[in-house]
Amino acid sequence: MRPRVVAANLYVKLISVYREKTTMFFTLAFPIILILLFGAIFMSQDNVNFHLCVQDLDQSKSSRESVEALGQSGKFKITGVDPAVDATKYLRETKATLVLVIPKGFERSLMRRKFFQDYGESATLTYIYDPSSSSVPTKMAILSGVIAGANQEISGIPPFIKTVEKSILTKKYRFIEYFIPGIVAMSVMTLSLFGTANLNTELRQKGIIRKLSTTPITRTEWILSDVLYYFTLALVTTTIMLLVSWAVFRTNLHLNAWLPAFLLLDVFSFVGIGMTLTRFVRESQSAAAAANAISFPMMFLSGSFFPIELMPGFLQTLAKTLPLYYVNEGLRAAMIFEDNVAARHDAAIIGVFAAVVFILGIVATKWEEGQ
Amino acid sequence: MTGKPEYAIEVEKLTKRYGDLLAVNEISFNVKKGEVFALLGPNGAGKSTSVEIIDTIRTPTSGKVSLLGMDVTRNKLDIVRRIGVLPQNFSSFDRITVKETLQYYSRLYCGLHADIDALMELVNLTDKSEDQYKNLSGGLRQRLGIALALVNDPEVVFLDEPTTGLDPRARHEVWQVLQGLKSQGKTVLLTTHYMEEAELLADTVAIISKGQIIAMGSPSELIEDNANYQVLTLLCADGNAFEIIRGLGFEPVADQHRNIRIRVDRAQDVLLILSAIKDAGALYSGLDVRKPNLEEVFLKLTGEALHDGTVGHKGAQ
Repeated sequence: MRPRVVAANLYVKLISVYREKTTMFFTLAFPIILILLFGAIFMSQDNVNFHLCVQDLDQSKSSRESVEALGQSGKFKITGVDPAVDATKYLRETKATLVLVIPKGFERSLMRRKFFQDYGESATLTYIYDPSSSSVPTKMAILSGVIAGANQEISGIPPFIKTVEKSILTKKYRFIEYFIPGIVAMSVMTLSLFGTANLNTELRQKGIIRKLSTTPITRTEWILSDVLYYFTLALVTTTIMLLVSWAVFRTNLHLNAWLPAFLLLDVFSFVGIGMTLTRFVRESQSAAAAANAISFPMMFLSGSFFPIELMPGFLQTLAKTLPLYYVNEGLRAAMIFEDNVAARHDAAIIGVFAAVVFILGIVATKWEEGQ
Repeated sequence: MTGKPEYAIEVEKLTKRYGDLLAVNEISFNVKKGEVFALLGPNGAGKSTSVEIIDTIRTPTSGKVSLLGMDVTRNKLDIVRRIGVLPQNFSSFDRITVKETLQYYSRLYCGLHADIDALMELVNLTDKSEDQYKNLSGGLRQRLGIALALVNDPEVVFLDEPTTGLDPRARHEVWQVLQGLKSQGKTVLLTTHYMEEAELLADTVAIISKGQIIAMGSPSELIEDNANYQVLTLLCADGNAFEIIRGLGFEPVADQHRNIRIRVDRAQDVLLILSAIKDAGALYSGLDVRKPNLEEVFLKLTGEALHDGTVGHKGAQ
């Protein structure tokens, strides 16, 4: 392996992307768009405010106070529904997803329970909902929690079981801060995998690989220069993502040597996969389709966007076989938990994977044609 | 095939098969050091496949190929340091300038200090040194490709269809560069389907058709051996002339410009035809008598034209 040859390749690739302004723009803009878009979505996770329609059929002081208390819980933005309208029809016509109906006689029942200890007295609130909406179960769960609290208060007896929250971290992190390492890992994967597969199929289609095959450059030198090229781009795009997330969302993550280490391992892994793909696909369009087929499941299954605990058991097992999962976990261990032991464990796993696919990429790369 | 070989390239019963397709069928030839050797044939004849096996881009199905005394299937890394290749449909990195491209390829040969300025001068690209590849015309790109093939000062140069797709002017510019190589004493293996190119540049020409070499020798030998006659052309001849010549027992062929071509085996036949036309009072604006070219040799040997637009040469048959 000759460093001068690797450096020459790296220079040609970097100067090419620098002079190709459109590619340069999208290479840098993509992570910014990604961080702003997902950042905006996930920032609201820390301050959930669901839309809730309430139809108060009782129109009493107690029912009005209950509705106000729901609004003050901070979980709901309340919209009143005229008691005269059919709530089911209202839900269909307004595209609302949940209407809470407070029955007539609510206050009378409440008074009988509170002042006459008539425990046979109760009020039944009705949830009219659209089952096709994915947010409805969450809304109903939160609503039930709020109502359970109200029931406890009405009973006048202190709760027996109490809970207290205790984070393993001394500092309180927001959801966006857990999310950023996943976005960094995912964008570096996309950059390396798509870039390698596209660039190499394009160079082969143009005949440049054929010309290179008549020079002394080796496959290892070529792939290593690819790794360094995408690592350089990964450093630039990650720096931009971290700066944008700090400037816009005021994120506060730990930056240490694990970050470049995981970026390098991420690049090694996906350049290796990209080179292996290039062996089997001939056209750059097919290369993009094949890269999509690999990256999309990886993106959603490896915990970049959603915690894998939300997935069925077999998908959780599958997730733990994916390289991106260990990059995500490793980056979170390093940037949030400052857990060197966990980071080392994840780095070791992704390191072994990277070494295997890098060697596979070298073996799979074919300079000569028509064997 | 070892030690200090007399031949730069030795090919013995080389065969290449792609499934059922036999692209190259047991061809054998040798290229002497310092010789310009041309493989001449139409598209799909097996020229490029043969060259790509010799210059290590492809592997053979069977047969032996020795390059500078080394087996091409076993000594690739040693071989590529000593050869230069202009592949068919050469292309390079779009956004890299001429000078940077030459510098890049020279760096792939570690320990080599190529004189980039001299190379650019050789292929007449000095004033384009800062132009990016994507902005070069077809002829300039081919000249850059030739310069790249010379960046390591190779002992053997492979040029696979160096002028295909170029306009006549660009083709002549490339020929000038190739004649410069010839005068430097480089061993050159060239593939082409332009007979003028082979005739102008090659010391030895191998005519290849359907994967087989059907004739080989110097251009003059091939013409002498396979087309020992002359072609008389009467320019803008009137209709009577055609019938008069036919009446003399010749087989004239007229083209759309009223030119009439007649194959003549003896010098006296020319005089016979001209005097018969003069006696009949028929008219023509000029005449040309010449030896046949490689295209006509190819036509005779294979019954096929080298490329479209050569049917007019049937007159020589």
